[in-house]
Amino acid sequence: MSAPTTDRPAALEAEVAVPATGDGPDDRPGLSERLSVSAAEHRVGIAWSVAIVVLAAAMIAAGMDVGAMLVNGLGAGAIYAMVALGIALVYRATRVLNFAQGELGTMPAFIVVLILLGGDLEGFVDPAQVSFGRLLALAGLAVVIGAVLAVAVNLFVIQRLADSSPVTSLVATAGVALLLIGVQVVAFDLQSRTFPQFFSGSVHLLGLRFPSHTLVVASVLVVASVLLVGLFRTQLGVALLASAQDPFAAELHGVSARAMSSLAWGIAGGLAALGGVLGAGVFEGITPGLMTSTFLIPAFTAAVLGGISSPAGAVVGGLLLGQVSAAANTATVGLGISVPNAPTLAAFVVLLLVMAFRPLGLLGKEA
Amino acid sequence: MSATTVRPSAAPRDLSVGAPVAGDEIAWRPSTTGIAARVAVLALGLGALGVLPLIVAPLTRNVLATTAVYGMVAISLNVLVGYTGQVSLGHSAFLGVGAFGAGFVLTQLALPWFAAVVVAVALGIAIAGLLGVVALRVRGLYLALVTLALAVFAERVLFGIEPLTGGGGGQTAVRPTWASADLAYAYVCFGGLALAWLLDWRLTASKAGRAIRALRDSERVAASWGIDVTRYKLLAFVTSGAIAGLAGALFASITEIVSPITFNFMLSLSFLMMVVVGGIGSRIGVVLGAALYTALPYLLDAADGRYRWFPVDGSASQVVGALLLLLVLVRFPGGLAQLSAPLIRWCSFKPARARRTGATPTAGGGNDVRP
Repeated sequence: MSAPTTDRPAALEAEVAVPATGDGPDDRPGLSERLSVSAAEHRVGIAWSVAIVVLAAAMIAAGMDVGAMLVNGLGAGAIYAMVALGIALVYRATRVLNFAQGELGTMPAFIVVLILLGGDLEGFVDPAQVSFGRLLALAGLAVVIGAVLAVAVNLFVIQRLADSSPVTSLVATAGVALLLIGVQVVAFDLQSRTFPQFFSGSVHLLGLRFPSHTLVVASVLVVASVLLVGLFRTQLGVALLASAQDPFAAELHGVSARAMSSLAWGIAGGLAALGGVLGAGVFEGITPGLMTSTFLIPAFTAAVLGGISSPAGAVVGGLLLGQVSAAANTATVGLGISVPNAPTLAAFVVLLLVMAFRPLGLLGKEA
Repeated sequence: MSATTVRPSAAPRDLSVGAPVAGDEIAWRPSTTGIAARVAVLALGLGALGVLPLIVAPLTRNVLATTAVYGMVAISLNVLVGYTGQVSLGHSAFLGVGAFGAGFVLTQLALPWFAAVVVAVALGIAIAGLLGVVALRVRGLYLALVTLALAVFAERVLFGIEPLTGGGGGQTAVRPTWASADLAYAYVCFGGLALAWLLDWRLTASKAGRAIRALRDSERVAASWGIDVTRYKLLAFVTSGAIAGLAGALFASITEIVSPITFNFMLSLSFLMMVVVGGIGSRIGVVLGAALYTALPYLLDAADGRYRWFPVDGSASQVVGALLLLLVLVRFPGGLAQLSAPLIRWCSFKPARARRTGATPTAGGGNDVRP
């Protein structure tokens, strides 16, 4: 290589150098620094905390079961968080709002129930008969199917639309969702199938009655979050984050943007599959389009609430939204107001409030 | 007209560097036989469309009425997606508000049919206007999310309020006495489609339409040319809402019962598919898209019944529709309008080939208005 050409990459690199991707995780600001807030934000935070405590006190005073409300909120919120986490990851890596995130979960869940029933969808499966090892294997299979589906969507649709606007990609993922629902309708018929809820029953903890399923969902969320945080500390994870931040600069450092986008989609697909299996367990049933019609919209709201490109925000947003929905439910039932579908109303109001006052979300840094 | 008096918003749209002087296209005329052929083809096409409700099987007349109504919704959605460049996933809510408004006026207030139509249009305008106010603040993906949440909110909360909508059982909406037969009502719906077409045509041909498209390309530049951003953006939303409200009133009486489950937010996705597959920004394209998607289940059923080798029946229409959407997005971004552009241009007395190809249309930006 001649002298002038060896100079060029260096010059380019200097132009697009991204400080944060320099030397791995050590260069990133510490947790306390990242969570540090200005005085004004601090006051807003205190105001919110006071408001929430007052509200909770009022609900207890009105004779509502706040403990049960918290538990219900956790059960729904953990699944919102799981789906929202996938949405945030995909958004961060490819700037695509993934409408198919729900269906990437329903599809593996259908395949799991098909295997459990030995191909006969009319049947019924007794959760007690399934050994724990088989359960783990099935969950693993679901994750793999979800990941493969998601990577296929990325490679065959999203990457081909890489140059078009984010809205085109949104329409494309909506098309993928409709396609997956259509396939389910053709393959499994438009009717509800029973889906076993493994770990039924409940556990008493801290004076509250937790359904076992809620605990399972919450622990899966915790494990997934810990694994993700761990991933972001490895070289691969840093490459993923770098590629999301600036694909061009990352490619100059030898990171394949295409591979990284597939990695993000694959993780999101796995999360979607976990969400699908656990979400179908909540309803103890599965229909085509289940996750899209039940969990997708709250998950979008949760992702926006937390800051759409922030995985941590998605988890926080999901858990918060779960509590808000449960509170809306408890409050309307407790006060005897007949509002159809109070949780949906609450989610809509939350979304409008976030859009109006803090479009970046709670933990978001960039739109 | 002297060059100095041409306002930017009134300037011919083909004016660009290197292009021949505007007005060139007007100077082109087909030969006398060419004109005769075009007139004959147009008359045949319109005539065929006109007698279509008469010649189809009686049970299919309601399908034709639905197709016309979905065509109106597609035109309405195209005003937003094609001209303002903002995606709405809330058109199921627009349609539902119109339908339930009409049902409420017809059944609960027992007012005549025209009053119901007026109320439906007013409600459509109101909800679209509200969304327009939101659209002044947020755009793009965020606006899409807000509209999606609006659709879900309308489906599960608003349309579930018993005293207004009859709850899960639905609201009856009788047809006007002069059009109570399926055949007459199909013609009423065709009339509605024609009205929406006319409104859309006048909008795109006027200063307002050009201003709206200028906003889509760049709000800042448009504002610098003296275009009132707030006013024209709201105008686009209001027009879209009015057409959707009218479509809702017509939709209500096709089956004479309006139930909340119809206005699922998935319906909004179907409308978006119609517009994208038909060709964003093209009036005739989106109507063709609407016709294709409404007829698809029936076409597949018919093909399945007739040919033994045909692999799928009507239940697979969603798979076929979604595959079509993905195919169009990845391979033919202009949709049906692009594929049939030479024919459409020929029919509209223009040279068969466009003189200048514009930017590739996409769901976000979109080409300028095509015939």
